[in-house]
Amino acid sequence: MNWVWFHRFGSPPHFYRLATGMTPWFAWAAALLCIAGVIGGLGLAPADYRQGDGFRIIYVHAPSAWLSMMVYVVMASSAAVGLIWRMSVSHAIAASCAIIGASFTAVALGTGMLWGRPMWGTYWEWDPRLTSELLLLFLYLGYLGLRSAIDDTGRADRASAVLAIVGVVNVPIIHYSVIWWNSLHQAPSVMKFDKPDIPASMLVPLLMMLAGFTALFFALLLIRARGEVLRRERNARWAADALNVAAGKV
Amino acid sequence: MEHFLNMGGYARYVWPSYALALLAVVLNIYWARRSLRDAQSQARRRIERAGQSDAIKKGAP
Repeated sequence: MNWVWFHRFGSPPHFYRLATGMTPWFAWAAALLCIAGVIGGLGLAPADYRQGDGFRIIYVHAPSAWLSMMVYVVMASSAAVGLIWRMSVSHAIAASCAIIGASFTAVALGTGMLWGRPMWGTYWEWDPRLTSELLLLFLYLGYLGLRSAIDDTGRADRASAVLAIVGVVNVPIIHYSVIWWNSLHQAPSVMKFDKPDIPASMLVPLLMMLAGFTALFFALLLIRARGEVLRRERNARWAADALNVAAGKV
Repeated sequence: MEHFLNMGGYARYVWPSYALALLAVVLNIYWARRSLRDAQSQARRRIERAGQSDAIKKGAP
């Protein structure tokens, strides 16, 4: 097994350069997919036979909920890599995830409430799916709070990594909550192994939104992680090159 | 157009959902870019300070 890529990825200057180059690709993919997805979801998809036009909330709710969980898994796994191999780039990536994840968890909860009111007759119910998603928001906020309470970046990285790794148990609980327990929330209709339950004109915009939000997350992550890598950098030489500053010539 | 905006009677749930998602997207783009800009200007200041102290050590004017 060739581990060169792993070591190169862990090198801050290499990561910084790679992230700078990749950001526009993710950003454009996100913009195009989300615009097409919104047009498809609001304009082209037919109204649902039971929920009418109310079901169109799915095109922002499901991608946000997907991000809320995927971002947490990215955060916990890069925190674990950072903790095990003492990789500062990995810690920088983990630290960049939290605020993005927290905001999309809030959107998933908010749009879920706006969807629940007309369909279930209530904004909120202490249902397994809703409760575990709320717990996810608190995990993100706890992670952010813990980081900001510790001044030393290295210690903040290690302490918050432990929290992120422990909290990852909640992700499968969220995902399987609708299957394990009786829930108001519907079971997954797209992310299952056999054929999805919805017609193509409804499904395609949804897949576009899911891909678009995922691309948006990676664009945001790469922008933030570059900043976090710079904050962790003590050896100024490559940073000076990257920022076009001539060190020593002030 | 009015029919579209009415969203089959679900307008008061559908539009706020989209507005909330759009707000999160816009804020995240703004926050991420601001965070990178702040880190870059901090790093720049650090490098310039380090450069100045090097120059002082070397006895440059």
